Amino acid sequence: MAASETTTARPGVSVGPTSEFSLFFHVKPGHGDDLREALRTLQNHPGYRPGEYGMAVATIHEARFVLFDDDTRLLFATSFDGPWDSYMEDFFTSGPTLALFDAVFQHVEGYEGLPDVAAVKAFVLSAQATAAAYARNYGGTVKEIRKAERVNKAFQRVLDDPAAGEGLQHPALKPLLDEASD
Amino acid sequence: MVAVADTVSLELDDIQSGALHERPSPYVGTYVLLRIDDRASGRELVRRLHPVVDSGRPSADPARDAWVTVAFTYQGLKALGVPRDSLESFAPEFREGMAARAAELGDVGESSPANWETPLGSPDVHVALAALSPDAPRLEAVVERARRARQELPGVEVIWRQDCYQLPTGRTSFGFKDGIGQPAVEGTGISGSNPGEPPIKAGEFILGYPDETGSLPPMPTPGVLGRNGTYIVFRKLHTRVAAYRRYLREKAATREEEALLGAKMVGRWQSGAPLALCSESDDPELGADPHRNNDFVYRDDLRGFKCPAGAHARRANPRDALDEDGSVNVRLHRMIRRGTSYGPMLPEGVLEDDGADRGIIFVFAGAHPKRQFEFVKTQWLNDGIFIGAPAEKDPLVGPNDGSGKFTIPQRPVRRRLQNVPPFVVTRGGEYCFVPGLRALRWLAELET
Ligand code: HEM
Repeated sequence: MAASETTTARPGVSVGPTSEFSLFFHVKPGHGDDLREALRTLQNHPGYRPGEYGMAVATIHEARFVLFDDDTRLLFATSFDGPWDSYMEDFFTSGPTLALFDAVFQHVEGYEGLPDVAAVKAFVLSAQATAAAYARNYGGTVKEIRKAERVNKAFQRVLDDPAAGEGLQHPALKPLLDEASD
Repeated sequence: MVAVADTVSLELDDIQSGALHERPSPYVGTYVLLRIDDRASGRELVRRLHPVVDSGRPSADPARDAWVTVAFTYQGLKALGVPRDSLESFAPEFREGMAARAAELGDVGESSPANWETPLGSPDVHVALAALSPDAPRLEAVVERARRARQELPGVEVIWRQDCYQLPTGRTSFGFKDGIGQPAVEGTGISGSNPGEPPIKAGEFILGYPDETGSLPPMPTPGVLGRNGTYIVFRKLHTRVAAYRRYLREKAATREEEALLGAKMVGRWQSGAPLALCSESDDPELGADPHRNNDFVYRDDLRGFKCPAGAHARRANPRDALDEDGSVNVRLHRMIRRGTSYGPMLPEGVLEDDGADRGIIFVFAGAHPKRQFEFVKTQWLNDGIFIGAPAEKDPLVGPNDGSGKFTIPQRPVRRRLQNVPPFVVTRGGEYCFVPGLRALRWLAELET
């Protein structure tokens, strides 16, 4: 069995708490259509449909699968909270990611099924390329962004109340009052 | 997914008992570090230590025991003349040594290797011996056996000795009972104290057996050297007890509040009673009851109203708290801890530092120094990304610099401690390999 920990991990570029992660694969000859179908199935999965925001991995900001070069190549690109290379074994031993990856990666070259984590890890690392440039427009983790969304939603509900203007007059609420006017 | 114990047949007779052995309580012990100046003397030392080292299924009555564990650093294996391809088969972190990992581990500033106690972190540290026993006379007897092993070996030098102990209460310098949370290990017969955690695969702790990924962990070669071995990590951690007590005093209005803040930082009350089971006040009976004091999960407290997500013990073992993330398999990041206390306790109530060196010798045992020890230290203790609080580090043991924050969820308004100073300073440490007994013989008989 391959020695998983001696495989050299090449962490992606990080911005704040988040690291980029891109994988480039060659599609198995003749599998282009099946892969497209597998990705459509994924897209229609609860949590993955547009507007649902409920991917199995809750620590990624977004994920895309791009078929290119006449469906002979596949790009998987995502942004992960934390250094993704520290979590490699976790991905391939915890349920949701396993099933997802298996359905997609069975159509790309070099993939020989899941049982051997070290082999899957080596397969993924061989497909990884580190970004030459990476920038982000906000600093928070998914957990912080979701919290911020909840807080803003609650704040907007407060503002919808006719008594909000009066209620926000307390000096302790000044920072909120400053955000209340638009 | 309950794993059945003893599905793997462990060669317990070949495994040094120190790693898997439950300790007597209380106990006294001593750590000795040696430098090998002469290869032949080094091998002779290993030959003589072989019969001193214990193996086997831990005694049913740990209080009757006294035992010695022998471990080697990478430099030590080199000094013994272990062939190059074999040396290169060890875990990369072990080969680098702890001082080289300092920036990664957060050992910076006062904790940086430049400030470590001599000879810790230097290439002089070759062999580490640990001797533990229920009382001083029995300790002296084992130490004497170990001492005889290195008698008249001019090429072997004792370069460091550190006495340690565990109080009958199990409490360490900050006042908390320690050593409660331990994983059950499949095939050892050691039952876990947390019924919510099925036994962890033996290969997570002992080399040569399947681990939680279903594979064999990378094992040093040749097989006779790696098999039944384990990695240990030891760190001498100085604790600033007076500063810790003053900080709590400053932040709390009453003694009760002080105790509560202390408990929120650890995740347990001083008695060991977990916040998850009693969040209002300490329950010493619960803390002392081994059947109940580790029987909990965090599922019903994801927001941390009972035990903050940032509390030390919850960081170090989040149990089921991260299950929803879909990216963390907590079973890959477990460890056996064999920490001990050193230095005199600061008498209760004292708020001024007396200048004494006190703290814990943190000892980790596991098959994966990187994804167990280093992962927990760097991702969970030194960082807060995983709990959605990147600005927060472990409030008790994290490398805080005086600007640390610690959030305590409570209704109606959360509390946030500011300006958390560093309470723990690293005095040094090393990555070591604890070979099996056959491997010890192989080392003694090297002919390079
Ligand atoms: C001076 C430094 C430290 C002190 C004073 C300390 C203290 C404690 C205390 C009081 C507990 C709760 C009792 C228990 O569950 O056993 C605990 C638990 C624990 N600590 Fe530490 N600790 C220190 C450093 C570390 C380090 C460096 C690590 C790992 C890299 C670590 C890992 C753990 C783990 C895994 C647990 C068990 C958590 C559980 O299973 O619930 N500790 N520690």
